[in-house]
Amino acid sequence: MLAIKITKKQEFSIWNSCFLFLAALAVSLGISAVLLMMHGKSPLEGVGLLFKGAFGSPWAMEESLVKAIPIFLCSLGVATTFRLQIWNIGAEGQFALGAVGATWLALLYPDLPAFLLLPLMFLISLAAGGVWGFIPAVLKIRLRANEIIVTLMLNYIGILFLEYLVYGPWKDPVSFGFPMTTQFSAGAIVGTIGDTKINWGIVLCLAFGLFVWIMLRYSRVGYELKASGENVKAARYAGLPYDRLVLSVMIFSGALAGCAGFLEVSANLNRLQPSIIVGYGYTAIVVAWLARLNPLFIGVASFLLAGLKVGVENIQLELQVPAAFGGIMEGLILLTVLAGGFFTQYDIAIGRKG
Amino acid sequence: MRKFMFFLLFLLVFLVGGAGAAEKEMKVGFIYVSPVGDAGWSYAHEQARLAVAAMPGVKTTYVEAVKEGPDSERVMLNMARKGYDLIFATSYGYMDPMLKVAKQFPKTVFMHCSGFKRAKNMGTYFGRIYQARYLSGIVAGSMTKSNILGYVAAFPIPEVIRGINAFTLGAQSVNPAVQVRVVWTKTWYDPATEKEAAKSLLDVGADVITQHQDSPAAQEAAEERGAYSIGYDSDMSRFAPKGHLTDPIWNWAPLYKKLVEEVRQGTWKSQSLWPGLAEGIVGLSPFGAVVPQEVRNRVSVAKNSIIAGKMKVFAGPIKDQKGTVRIAKGAAASDKELLGMTWFVKGVVGTTE
Amino acid sequence: MSPDILVPLLAAAVQSGTPILYATLGEIVTEKAGVLNLGVEGIMMMGALGGFLFSMYTGSPTMGFVAGGLFGALIAGIHGLVCLVFQGNQVVSGLALTILGSNLANYLGTPHVGHSAPGFGLLPVPYLSKIPILGRVFFMHDMLVYVSYFIPLLVWIFLRYTRWGLGLRAVGENPEAGSAAGLGVMAHRWAGVLAGGFLGGLGGAYLSLAYTHLWTNGLTAGRGWIAVALVIFAFWRPGRAVLGAYLFGGVMAFQLRLQATGTNLPSSLLLMLPYALTVVVLVLSSWKAKGGDAPAVLGVNFEPSE
Repeated sequence: MLAIKITKKQEFSIWNSCFLFLAALAVSLGISAVLLMMHGKSPLEGVGLLFKGAFGSPWAMEESLVKAIPIFLCSLGVATTFRLQIWNIGAEGQFALGAVGATWLALLYPDLPAFLLLPLMFLISLAAGGVWGFIPAVLKIRLRANEIIVTLMLNYIGILFLEYLVYGPWKDPVSFGFPMTTQFSAGAIVGTIGDTKINWGIVLCLAFGLFVWIMLRYSRVGYELKASGENVKAARYAGLPYDRLVLSVMIFSGALAGCAGFLEVSANLNRLQPSIIVGYGYTAIVVAWLARLNPLFIGVASFLLAGLKVGVENIQLELQVPAAFGGIMEGLILLTVLAGGFFTQYDIAIGRKG
Repeated sequence: MRKFMFFLLFLLVFLVGGAGAAEKEMKVGFIYVSPVGDAGWSYAHEQARLAVAAMPGVKTTYVEAVKEGPDSERVMLNMARKGYDLIFATSYGYMDPMLKVAKQFPKTVFMHCSGFKRAKNMGTYFGRIYQARYLSGIVAGSMTKSNILGYVAAFPIPEVIRGINAFTLGAQSVNPAVQVRVVWTKTWYDPATEKEAAKSLLDVGADVITQHQDSPAAQEAAEERGAYSIGYDSDMSRFAPKGHLTDPIWNWAPLYKKLVEEVRQGTWKSQSLWPGLAEGIVGLSPFGAVVPQEVRNRVSVAKNSIIAGKMKVFAGPIKDQKGTVRIAKGAAASDKELLGMTWFVKGVVGTTE
Repeated sequence: MSPDILVPLLAAAVQSGTPILYATLGEIVTEKAGVLNLGVEGIMMMGALGGFLFSMYTGSPTMGFVAGGLFGALIAGIHGLVCLVFQGNQVVSGLALTILGSNLANYLGTPHVGHSAPGFGLLPVPYLSKIPILGRVFFMHDMLVYVSYFIPLLVWIFLRYTRWGLGLRAVGENPEAGSAAGLGVMAHRWAGVLAGGFLGGLGGAYLSLAYTHLWTNGLTAGRGWIAVALVIFAFWRPGRAVLGAYLFGGVMAFQLRLQATGTNLPSSLLLMLPYALTVVVLVLSSWKAKGGDAPAVLGVNFEPSE
């Protein structure tokens, strides 16, 4: 009789993970190509257009990079909570709150000079996003409320709150009643680097990324995170401050998402409107997982997934493929990576059993 | 290995792309804010695009579900870079991004729907669907017995509010006692909620249901209760065979074809276009069987009156919900007032938030 | 509130809560086996699309309904494959499933948006529907609502009195012991996942075959997530799931009715009600629960030792 022996691997290999990721990508592209064929489009052309649209020219690369910024920030935060096995699905709502906070300041003090206004907006967005992360955290530690549900519900509430503001008290008097705030003053806009479209938010990305990397590697908090993530009961028994960690990571994660929100309204849109909500919070989760929660890989994966979103527009344009195609690829990539993780985590020996 | 694959892909795309660039023809691009199959707003534009695509020497393409803001800017840049001659953007929020792109590509013509900012190579356009709404209001006001009309609406943006007001004015013109109740669903795509909203209106006594949504769910609800219904965007009679009255519909094709020709001939100028019933851009779908001839005649009279310019829908005196006179007797609302309408006329029950 | 408003509201609560009820019951079965499936939204979407397409092509809404369930089970099967066979993280897999299922349904359904399929119409129950108040609330709906009245009972009987059901619960509480006792842990978990997916698919099909007879992009509009939340509210018990589903359905219907009666409250704030209520209810349940009936190893993959 054939027996399959499965044992967990002891070491973790980076090359295996990279190979896994590429293999997963290939499988997803393959399935997506089949979908394209079902719709009567040439799969090879489609995949080619995807790459061209994402990375095939300097401006495509720029666009992908710009789109990667909010994804990176949200993902960095979400990955931090995931290390603790805290599932923060609420980056979307935290993003919205951060945008709202920054907008509030921009509308209140339009005449402040940029060097004062922008840092203030930045700080407020961190606070607002942080609060939206704080709520589910405190509900979890005090009342054992499942954070998956609470953060998810807060997404809806946060987005509705944003809508309430732009349809109501903050509505632009000159935009004919459309739901958006007035355009931000020059002092409230984060500028772009030189001639490119890339805004200075990328510096924040680098700073936060570095911060997290150092924190995870060299600080005590980083150690506590890793230990508590492995086994909550054991960690508590060992005296690690689990509750405090939960609060910290959730507030931090919310703050990062809030910062992404601030950048989106300040640099990209120059006003607040409901269309800033595009699902970065959910893509962030995909990215965090693909990157194995590692800040450096998060950078790479954010860029790739941003490229995917940008590239899909190109396929739409040239082949008239429905917009949902991009989401299918996202889901497929994640699922294949998850499934493929089996092969990097376990040794499989097939042998005979007597 | 990866670099080689990349290179191969590039080569492939180049070859494929090169093959297509044989002759010079007009390239027209469309950007939609929602998926095309929504049987609603974007669907109506898509129908017109298909008409344009049938014109000789014209190639068209579209990108759907493009979020307003930086995403739309990127899509328009993409189109402009690929040498498109004419680009249509069909949602208000595309206005600022389009302006930015228009400045960078002076040779391309940009047309923005429902906005007000223009440039030398960017014009605006819209359709006076409120005229059709007014006519549908006449039908509703004539057919109702309970004098309560239900309006299922998505978002309180000016064109929706304007439509509600026009509908109310039309109904009041034949039935001054009529009341229009509004329920906001705050979604363009949730037929279940739209249906529930319609039911809640039916439960408070509405016997005619109309809507500003992208699906016929509200009609379904009305049909199930034996009430009348008026759809939107396209002919929705098949969803409510018994109770269907009519629908205000879009007909963008004539406008789009005209604009494409103008750009082709080089006669296009930047202006604010706002055609309506007279130009055939908006209209009513065929009446349902239950609509009596007398009502159809009333609608005809009003329609001809509007087309001839003798009657304006928003002619004063018009009071708002609080009783304040917003449009004085003898005056008519200006285009600017119409485009920015955020208040309800008297007779509408509901908030604008 | 006068009976004129209250009774239709209660009736709307029942109907609005029905798709959520199907999905919640399905997720209860899955979670009782120890598997967390957050992909309910994706499952419902594919169930809605599958049911709609089958009804359109076969002309039979009943076949469509069943097909919807099968589509749901199929999608749930992916989750089973990724988590049960490949030991993937259950939380992330569920999320990926939501993304995949929702977008796949939108993609495949694009040519059919705005079309109508044969569906289930109003079917008042003879005699029972004439009972004052209760008749309107419970017996003046469509066939699928009446079917949904039996499902909680069936689930309850299954979990409590059948061998498979008891085995399923055992592997959700203590898979090691179950395995030692000869229970196929994987087999029972697969059963839980597939059954849960089937019920979720039925809930989705309800939306496109009975609640409305339409298909549009994003038809389920987040109801799958509500179902996941309601499982916790229900303490993993079928009976309470009914209460939760109708409560939530009621709040959704209520805020619309409030508007219809002419309130001045901004609708964005009213719309928050269902979600805020879910949080409140969840918090209260968790606080009082002290564990409740949560399966002990929910969300943790069972690692095969050979």
